[in-house]
Parts: sequence; structure tokens; C-alpha cells
Amino acid sequence: MVGLSLGEQTFIKGGIEQDLRTDGRKRLTYRPIFLETGIIPQASGSARVKLGATDVIASVKVELGKPNPSYPDKGKVSIYVDCSPTAEPSFQGRGGEELSTELSSALERCLLGGKSGAGAGIDLSSLCIVRGKKVCWDLYIDGLVVSSDGNMLDALGAAIKAALSNTVIPKVQVSANAPSDETPEVDVSDEEFLQFDTSGVPVIVTLTKVGGHYIVDATTEEESQMSSAVSVSINRLGRICGLTKRGGAGLHPTVVLDTISAAKHVSEQLMNKLDSEIAAAEACDEMES
Amino acid sequence: MRGLQLSLDKGQKLRFERAFEVLESLSSKSNSDASVIVADDISVNNEDAILKGHGTAEMNDRLVATLCGVVERVNKLVYVRPLRARYKPEIGDIIIGRVIEVAPKRWKLEINFSQDAVLMLSSMNLPDGIQRRRTAVDELNMRSIFEENDVICAEVRGFQHDGCLHLQARSQKYGKLKRGQLLTIPPYLVKRRKQHFHHLDQYGIDLILGCNGFVWVGEHVEVRDDMIEDLSDKSEQQKVKSWNTMGDEEVQEEYTPPDTRQNICRSANAIRVLSTLGFTITVEIITEIVELSKSMDLDVHEMLGAEFYVIVAEKEAERRSLPTKRR
Repeated sequence: MVGLSLGEQTFIKGGIEQDLRTDGRKRLTYRPIFLETGIIPQASGSARVKLGATDVIASVKVELGKPNPSYPDKGKVSIYVDCSPTAEPSFQGRGGEELSTELSSALERCLLGGKSGAGAGIDLSSLCIVRGKKVCWDLYIDGLVVSSDGNMLDALGAAIKAALSNTVIPKVQVSANAPSDETPEVDVSDEEFLQFDTSGVPVIVTLTKVGGHYIVDATTEEESQMSSAVSVSINRLGRICGLTKRGGAGLHPTVVLDTISAAKHVSEQLMNKLDSEIAAAEACDEMES
Repeated sequence: MRGLQLSLDKGQKLRFERAFEVLESLSSKSNSDASVIVADDISVNNEDAILKGHGTAEMNDRLVATLCGVVERVNKLVYVRPLRARYKPEIGDIIIGRVIEVAPKRWKLEINFSQDAVLMLSSMNLPDGIQRRRTAVDELNMRSIFEENDVICAEVRGFQHDGCLHLQARSQKYGKLKRGQLLTIPPYLVKRRKQHFHHLDQYGIDLILGCNGFVWVGEHVEVRDDMIEDLSDKSEQQKVKSWNTMGDEEVQEEYTPPDTRQNICRSANAIRVLSTLGFTITVEIITEIVELSKSMDLDVHEMLGAEFYVIVAEKEAERRSLPTKRR
């Protein structure tokens, strides 16, 4: 992106100081969210989220797989994010790779919790088909950044949430008589599907610290002025599912606690907004099909 | 509306579509036979001696358009004026650019054109206002005038023999723009007019509509002659400020006053709404939209909500249909 002149930088910082940002938002206001679901017919679930000029697509693909031997009653989820060169010329070639890995690992941290799946936003045991059998569902979550104007992590988080609520998992019949140490035969139904339970999937709220204040949903211009950013993923119950920090400058512990309580407050509004948007998008999607 | 994605509810969608139907019915009357899309025939009435201009090509003895636009004729020349195109500079255009490089005796500027523009040190007024030859010392001090990334307002001087575009800034009204924000809109939405610098007195802001689609909305600055001391002073202060981050009373004073900032943001959002809807941008319309949003008692950020887009579209449809009724 292009740089900013000293005057513009001061203007942005002053706006954040005075609680009136360049596009007229308050410090803790999101941009209008535009959401579509079911945009990729081949995927089990997909969604597109636009936050201002930021535009991301998330898709979920469900496949049968083998569970990890240490956690036999849990499914697997992998998250991969790709930054398209259409979003920014610097993403061309290998340019976007660093950001892609950063985003994917941040999303993994925010959504998947620990290695065992404890504290995960996505309930891994719901991906188990039959307890103790060597078969489970694998979720492949792919994110694509089509256009970037800051706050990609929140947008991706919202897109993944929408894509998961759009996801259907086929009903399966497992033949019961197979020996337990072998992969059982699985009969996948083409007609009957189960809705994926998304009540526990958190939203991600990124608080970007500029000067002495922090803001939500920063644009690229505002992100260029940031000292550090804390991303908190919070579920419907107001519990924290994950936490990541970006940016070089350190944060005082009280500031972290402060951001968390602010994020919790913001996440309630965002969660409600997203739920209504997802419901509207699903209704619109069904009407078309 | 292609490319426009808003979360409209049913009622809003209906109103929005109706407004655009009105707009379309108004525009198609005027020159429906002259507008062409790619591969349309351009009727030349079997005249032999025509000159094929930009956006035309001959195929199987027929003249076809290679662009979407309006067919224009100047004597024997036939060309297509595209509806949507990159900015093409014309001499005398007032434009806004961003410095990308400080080169020997010149600044290179990004101006949304297919090539970068050049502003020579010799084609701008020196800040001290004295007419003289530019010395080596001046050349060394170029960064004290404009640095990289600075936003600058200038005038198109013309194309040089080698094809590069030259700018000039021979007046106090041109130069560095500070304390405000730069918006980028499609350049065809800015029409060339007599006046591109606007001082909106009632809001205390400056509005510069660059012909290249860069629009500056900022705090009003009085044009003064003693620029150089002022300039270096300010940048010095700003640097100091960015280091000692916040809290100080002095710092507060340096920032744009909240009322002015509100007006800047309001005007900027008005421009954002208008450009997303694809309406021509003039000062009158911008002030109208700003007043509208004020009379509706909307918060500044609510101007970017779906409802306001619908209202602006309806307003524009109403505005455009009025003069035709009077005639």
C-alpha cells in the first residue's frame, strides 16, 4: 500500500484521540458487515464477508478421515488461509505467504484451542462418527483474502463462523460388525444431512492500539499507525476461547485486561449482528435455490 | 447495481431499484443512439473519407466499437468516448498527487495516470516567494519542501517531448496538503469545472476535487506567504508530538478541532456514498448530502449504512427529474 504523509498520520491519530475516526466511526464501532452464504456449490459450506473494502471468502469441506491415535474420539480441523494477489500487489508470488501463515496460525489459536481440542471454539468431539471406531470427519477450512483493507482476522473469523453454520454433514451408517482395530465400512448418505452445530463458535475481536487508545476494526491506514494489536476470540457465553497479539510494542498487563473487557463488550454486539446477518443470508440463499 | 453490495432489506431494495429505474429512464432518452458497447456497429453512412479514432476498428468493411461509450464526431474523425476509463490528463487540470520519489531537481508523483507525473523544482514557486534561479542549495533542500508520501496539489503543465507528464505549482494555493484525508474515487465522476478549490465556510473545511479522482477534504488553511518557516516549524512539532505519545495538553491543541473534524468526516462520507452509487461529484451535491444527513440527525458513521444509500439514490432521482419537468 502507499504510505501516508505526516499530515495524514497526525489526522488519523487525532481522530482516534478525539473518538471520531476518518470514516466517522467511534473507537469501538465496526464497519457495516455484508455477508453471503453458500457461494461455493462444491464446498460443504461457504460464506463471504465484506467489512468495508475488506473482502474475504471462507469455505468448509468435510471429508472422512482417520482420527489422531491419541484422541480417538475426536475429529480433525485444519485451517489454511491464502492471500490473493488481487488484494494487494505485494502478495504476488511468495509475498503473501508470511501473512497467510500468520493469519492461519492466529485463527487456529483463536478457534481450535489446545492440541487435545480442549477449549476449542469448534467442538471436535461432534466430528466423531462412532466412538472408538477409526473413522471421523475431517474439516478443511480454507480462507481467501480477496481484498484487504485492514482487520482481516475479524473478517476471516466471521466468514468461518458463517461458513460453519452453512455447513451440512452427510448422515452416515457404520456397519457395526467390523472388528474394532480396522477401519469400518461407512455408508455415506447423499440425501440426508445434519446441520453443523455452531452455537459454540466464537467471534474474533481485534483491538488495535494506536497512541493511548485502542480501536476495533482498523482500516489499513489505521493499522499502519498501530503499536500493537490484541485479538480476542469470545464465544456466546462471554468466555475467551483464544488470544493472540500482533505488533512489536509490548503491552502492560493492565492494558491487556482492559482490552479483554472491551472486547467482551464489543463481541456481544458483533455476535448478535453476525447472527442476524447469517440468518438473513441463509434465508436469501434458500430463496434462490 | 453491479459491484454495489449492501445489506438491504426488502423494502429498501424495492425503493432502491425504483430510484435507479427513474435514473435510467432519464439518462437513456438523451443519447441512446450514440452510445455503443463493444462490437457494436458505428453507422458511418457509407462516407468514404472518415478518420477512425480511438476505440474504433474496421472489420469486414464495417466500423465497430472496441470500447463501451459514446460515439463522438469531429468533422471526419469518429471516435468513442469511453464511459469508464483511467484518468487522462489535460493541460490545466488541477490534480492531487502523492510524492513517490525525490529525484534530482524533480519530484515524481503518483496521480492515478498510466505513468507517474513529474514536478520540476523550477516549475514551482519557492516557499520564500522570490523569483530566482534554483541553486544547488535549493536542490539539497528539496525534502524540506516535499517529502516522500506527501500529498500535493498541482496543475498539469503538459507533456514533454519525451512523453512524460509535467506539472507546475506556481501559486500559493498549490502545494502540500496537511490535516485532512485523501479519498480516491473514479476519475470520471469529477467533471472539469472552473473551480476545483472550495472553501466551505460554514464547515471551516477545504475541499479540493482533483480531476484525477483524488479528493482532498481537510481543515481550512489560509493561504499565506511566509510558508517556509511555518512549514519546517510544523513538521518539527509533529515529529516531537509523535514521539511523546499522548496526554499532554499541548498535543490536544495541535489536533483538528472536533467540530471541524466532524464536518470533514461528514463531507468525506458524503463523497464515499456518492462515488459508490456512481453519481457525479460536485460541491453543491456534497453540501446537499451533508445537510441532508444533518437534518436527519444521523451520526457520521451511519451515513455509510444501507438506509442512507437508498435515501441518497432517491434524492438524486428526484433532483434529476425536476429540471426536465420545468422545461
